[in-house]
Amino acid sequence: MKSLKQIWLTFAGTRVGQSIFRVGLPESNLGRMQAMVSSFLLHLHPAKVHRHSLQFSYTLGLGLISLYLFLILCITGVALMFFYVPSPEHAYDNMKDLEFVVSAGMIARNMHRWSAHLMVLCVFLHMCRVFYTGGYKPPREFNWIVGVGLFVMTLVLSFTGYLLPWDQLAFWAITVGTNIAGYAPVVGKKIQFLLLGGNIVGESSLLRFYVLHVIVLPAAVVFMIAIHFWRVRKDGGLSRPGEPDVLVQQSETGPLSTSKTYGLMELARGTSPAVGLKPEDEVPVWPHLLFREILLFLATMAVVMFLSVFWNAPLEEFANPTHPPNPAKAPWYFLGLQELVAYSAFWGGVAVPALLLVALVALPYLDHQRVGIGVWFARERRVAVTIFTICVVAAVVLTAIGTYFRGPNWDWVWPWAASAVTPH
Amino acid sequence: MDSLRKLYPWFALLGLAVGGLVLAGYYKDEFREWKRWQQEYAAQELNRATTPEQKEQARALPIEIKQIVLPELQRVDRCTTCHLAVEDSSYAGVKQPLAYHPNHARHPFEKFGCTICHQGQGRATEREAAHGRVAHWEHPMLAMKYIEASCAKCHAATDVPRSPLLARGRALFEEQGCIGCHKLGGFGGNLGPELDKVGAKRSPEWLAKHFKSPAELVPGSGMPPVKRSDADVAALTLFMLGQTGERLTEYYVSMKTIPGPDIGQRLFGQKGCIGCHSVGGKGGTVGPALDGVTQRRTTDWIVKHFRDPAAISPESVMPKFNFTESEIRSLASFLGSLTGADVLSFMKIPAQASPVERGRAVYLKYGCGGCHGTSGEGGVPNHNAKSNQQIPPLTAANDLADVFLESFITEGVPEIGKLDPNGPKPPIYMPGFGDKISEGELADLISYLRSLKP
Repeated sequence: MKSLKQIWLTFAGTRVGQSIFRVGLPESNLGRMQAMVSSFLLHLHPAKVHRHSLQFSYTLGLGLISLYLFLILCITGVALMFFYVPSPEHAYDNMKDLEFVVSAGMIARNMHRWSAHLMVLCVFLHMCRVFYTGGYKPPREFNWIVGVGLFVMTLVLSFTGYLLPWDQLAFWAITVGTNIAGYAPVVGKKIQFLLLGGNIVGESSLLRFYVLHVIVLPAAVVFMIAIHFWRVRKDGGLSRPGEPDVLVQQSETGPLSTSKTYGLMELARGTSPAVGLKPEDEVPVWPHLLFREILLFLATMAVVMFLSVFWNAPLEEFANPTHPPNPAKAPWYFLGLQELVAYSAFWGGVAVPALLLVALVALPYLDHQRVGIGVWFARERRVAVTIFTICVVAAVVLTAIGTYFRGPNWDWVWPWAASAVTPH
Repeated sequence: MDSLRKLYPWFALLGLAVGGLVLAGYYKDEFREWKRWQQEYAAQELNRATTPEQKEQARALPIEIKQIVLPELQRVDRCTTCHLAVEDSSYAGVKQPLAYHPNHARHPFEKFGCTICHQGQGRATEREAAHGRVAHWEHPMLAMKYIEASCAKCHAATDVPRSPLLARGRALFEEQGCIGCHKLGGFGGNLGPELDKVGAKRSPEWLAKHFKSPAELVPGSGMPPVKRSDADVAALTLFMLGQTGERLTEYYVSMKTIPGPDIGQRLFGQKGCIGCHSVGGKGGTVGPALDGVTQRRTTDWIVKHFRDPAAISPESVMPKFNFTESEIRSLASFLGSLTGADVLSFMKIPAQASPVERGRAVYLKYGCGGCHGTSGEGGVPNHNAKSNQQIPPLTAANDLADVFLESFITEGVPEIGKLDPNGPKPPIYMPGFGDKISEGELADLISYLRSLKP
């Protein structure tokens, strides 16, 4: 260890090293904070962070885990793209080749698959966490909306990826999923046609889903993540109890004279997010936050690798438009909706998802009293907490029913009952 | 601030976990089953090597995936990754997967691969997956007792040497009158489903069981059970398994690959040569009689004449048929085998036969026997039919006037009288054949029906 550090220090001391690292390996808290400010990658963080933000029991690390999963998805996704042709003729064979001949192909596909499922789960849980700790209240209303957008994007990303293996699972899940979209009044059928590039899932659907999945949506997500993170810092870091009431005050500045030039400090309005922090409440990000972030990354990797080494991503028969499985099921995160569709296409396919989305977006503007921020299940917020919990429980129960309790013809089955095997 | 120190054990634990899992992933990926067999093969090769050069070669054998890429068959077969010695006859009798594959001269592996005959999953490189015995793979390896079924994928006619079971299955298919109700190759009835792709959809077990008791597997099926020996049912199953509907390119269609008198004979019938030419005094008179034509003309002349008749005999009115070269060779060899006496026996309906004999051929051609019995004895069960719950025999045809018989055959009997008026519709009814059968066939068929005695 000593000699490694020595080598690094020697390199950092050279002209080249100095030009890259600027401050060298810091030896004091001051140096570490300088490093945070002067390095591009580290500059995503503030130099110091409130102790409260480091509490795992407060954040559960869900936002960061979601980011890590997204990064794993990008890296494995690009690797998979090298071996994938988005056409019905090749896609399925490509999956087989990944499994049987491509070095680390199966593990890359497994990592991609499990990370995708986990990301849907973690983004959802992250949203729940932010709700239960009142993190969407002023001044963080807009960031909540960006977050809702990211949640929807995550679902759509996962959904578009679902089709790409071009097996029975993919084909019929997308058929069912896009049918749900088709239930919307007036525009439903048009949207379905636009998504599929036809009336049924086919060659053009695969190409469309592919382009959305590998370029359009990831680019949009990267952009939105950037806004999301930027806003976290501009809104005063993570929510916590005892925040000053208004972090950014709109101070009155008179009309600016054109006869003089202004420095930045003269133009900036209001107080910075750092106002109200007491020095003893803060710790340097390096090492306290960075170390925890690395730890969380290791934990995320461990879970993803564990799943990927021991469970293969599913691949069913080659897609067959004339042979629907019974029942044909949408991806699991849409099974709650599919369960509702079984009762009423309008409610399940249109009204409920639309209302949920509107409610989520309107939430921070309806519930804007700055009470109970930074505390799990604050007593003052029990009405909001109860309503949200009912919705979450309903979603989980419906999804579980759709996933485990629905058999052929969408009839009720017990998951432990052996399904009748029909030979073909 | 000390709080970091208490996280160090977590760091160590998670670090080790990720490291361990990466190693496990690497192990799974690197140590594949097929590599063991390639090492085994290399060891055997080294063992067999006698000269230093051979030893050198055996040592230099690469460990690599082997594959046969067959775009025309839409296949990539990696079977030879483990089955390394299929072409090396010195490995005859060696335990699988290193055994030699006999009789592959006519079907070279580099052109045919493996799965076109054996089925299974050609792209897979793990034993169970490759043999197709895994979930979600629809074509497990074909049991050797059914292997002749694969011949039928390319060999459409009865011209496959060493495939007695396939020939038997084909004959049974005709005898049982299957096409009375089922379509195969666009010909046949509508009562049952088409059979063109049945071999790709159904497993051998399903087919065999279905022949014996159709209604058990397809509730409500009106198909009569095939009352034959197990061996016959197996032969029928085998014939069905060959009907996969796979569209193969020209190279793989047998007519192009094995020219011979059988193919020539079939072409001779199909193209209606007998309309203009005669053999043994039977046939048309527009063109010359073909008896002994191979003595009068050289093979070269005949071949050129088939390519373009007018080019070699300017006054010829014979049309240019655009035969392929292998069709021409087949026709030429058929002409060489002409003996005159039995030349017309191969025609679907023998021209010189009596009306009753011709009628019998019509009876078989349209699969009437499927319901009415191979000789019109009837007796196939038809649930809830007024006619004693079975399909009536045809032995009473003599009592009916021609017009009635004709309308029965051409229009059918779409509504069968019910035994119990409240019961379900009888599953089998008589379809109309009016759009298929020609007038001459109809007359012959009626003659045959009149000849049937109770």
